[in-house]
Amino acid sequence: MSVIRAAIDEMFSVVGQMVGSVFRHGLPLTDKIAARTALTNFVLHIHPVRVRRSWIRMSYTLCLGGLSFFLFIVLTVTGLYLMFYYVPSTQHAYQDMRDLQFVVTFGGLIRNMHRWAAHAMVITVWLHMARVFLTGAYKKPREFNWGVGTLLLLLTLLLSFTGYLLPWDQLSIWAVTVGTNMAKYAPIAGPYTRYLLIGGRVVGDNALLRFYVLHVVGLPLAAFLLMVVHFWRVRKDGFSGGL
Amino acid sequence: MAADFRRLIEDSREMTRRSFLAIAGWVGFSVASLIALYQSVKWLYPNATYEDPPAFKADPPSAYAVGSTTVIIDKRVVINHDPNGFYAISLICTHLGCTPRYFPDATSDLVLAGTQIAKDPDTGQQATKENPVLPGFKCPCHGSRYFRDAVNFFGPAPRPMDRVHLEVAPDGKLLIDRSVIVERSFRLKV
Repeated sequence: MSVIRAAIDEMFSVVGQMVGSVFRHGLPLTDKIAARTALTNFVLHIHPVRVRRSWIRMSYTLCLGGLSFFLFIVLTVTGLYLMFYYVPSTQHAYQDMRDLQFVVTFGGLIRNMHRWAAHAMVITVWLHMARVFLTGAYKKPREFNWGVGTLLLLLTLLLSFTGYLLPWDQLSIWAVTVGTNMAKYAPIAGPYTRYLLIGGRVVGDNALLRFYVLHVVGLPLAAFLLMVVHFWRVRKDGFSGGL
Repeated sequence: MAADFRRLIEDSREMTRRSFLAIAGWVGFSVASLIALYQSVKWLYPNATYEDPPAFKADPPSAYAVGSTTVIIDKRVVINHDPNGFYAISLICTHLGCTPRYFPDATSDLVLAGTQIAKDPDTGQQATKENPVLPGFKCPCHGSRYFRDAVNFFGPAPRPMDRVHLEVAPDGKLLIDRSVIVERSFRLKV
């Protein structure tokens, strides 16, 4: 009997240790415990231990950076869903896009979420930049983060451009023909840049595959890494809205 | 000069083995990185593209009447047969590379709106209020327009569309090579 009781006790203590390793500080009933929780928690540590109400006033930030990040997450998740039904080849791409619209259950919803979130993200990132500029939040010591932000804006636009080709309809093929022909106008490097971008002389299979790879792996990965730096810098440089 | 050089040698003797190895390591790393960069860029340039070959065969010359304009849309080529002979146009807009479409009337709306249309240097044709309709090409992307013989007259296109080489193949069909651009005066007489 005592052997069984010992085994049960042992089991509880193991479970207790496991739970304790996740929730280290118990309920945040005092400021001290709350601060310690924020300090040691991976998710919470993005915010400073103390945040003044005035720093995160909605009327100051308009939450545009947060909205952009939220849309990036929406795009990542819906994009992942779309990848299950989409094959990036000129044989399949258009038909797959049509299937997503009309055959796949909730396909239209997911595709439209992806599409509208993409449009919205371009808008919120631009507005975020405008807000930072108009409130002077780019000034010292935040110049570096402004630079990171401009790269993130560029990546957002490139993601939008590369994603535009993937439905492989007439609009997207000619938009990318036009866009890459603009790159061709650059002195000396122009024609090489175009050949590099579309992997050939016309927008065809190679171009579709290249844009797909950039759209689903290359650019999001770069954007993610820069976002990590961007948020960390916000945390380190402090919020600009303190009054 | 000689003293400076000697000084340099003396200084370099003071370099420790450890710092020499460190510098050698960094140099090696930098060189390897540059090679990797070169390889990465080179990797992205396809040596072979499996695109549609530039040369293709069309119908025999007899299939094209004098004065006709034939659009081969899949190949993005136009075959014109005028009294002087045959010539082929690469149907790629010189603005940003879209495919202009053929219209029997590419001028009347402009003429009636009061736009002056330049004279086609090739055919001498000019659309006027009295005779506003001329055939030609309109680009769907940004509205460039060309006369039947590929000379641009409206919109952002900076120059006429390219003329490409054509000849009669041994089997009697027209052989068009889109990779060979020819003068505007080029004509194939059959």
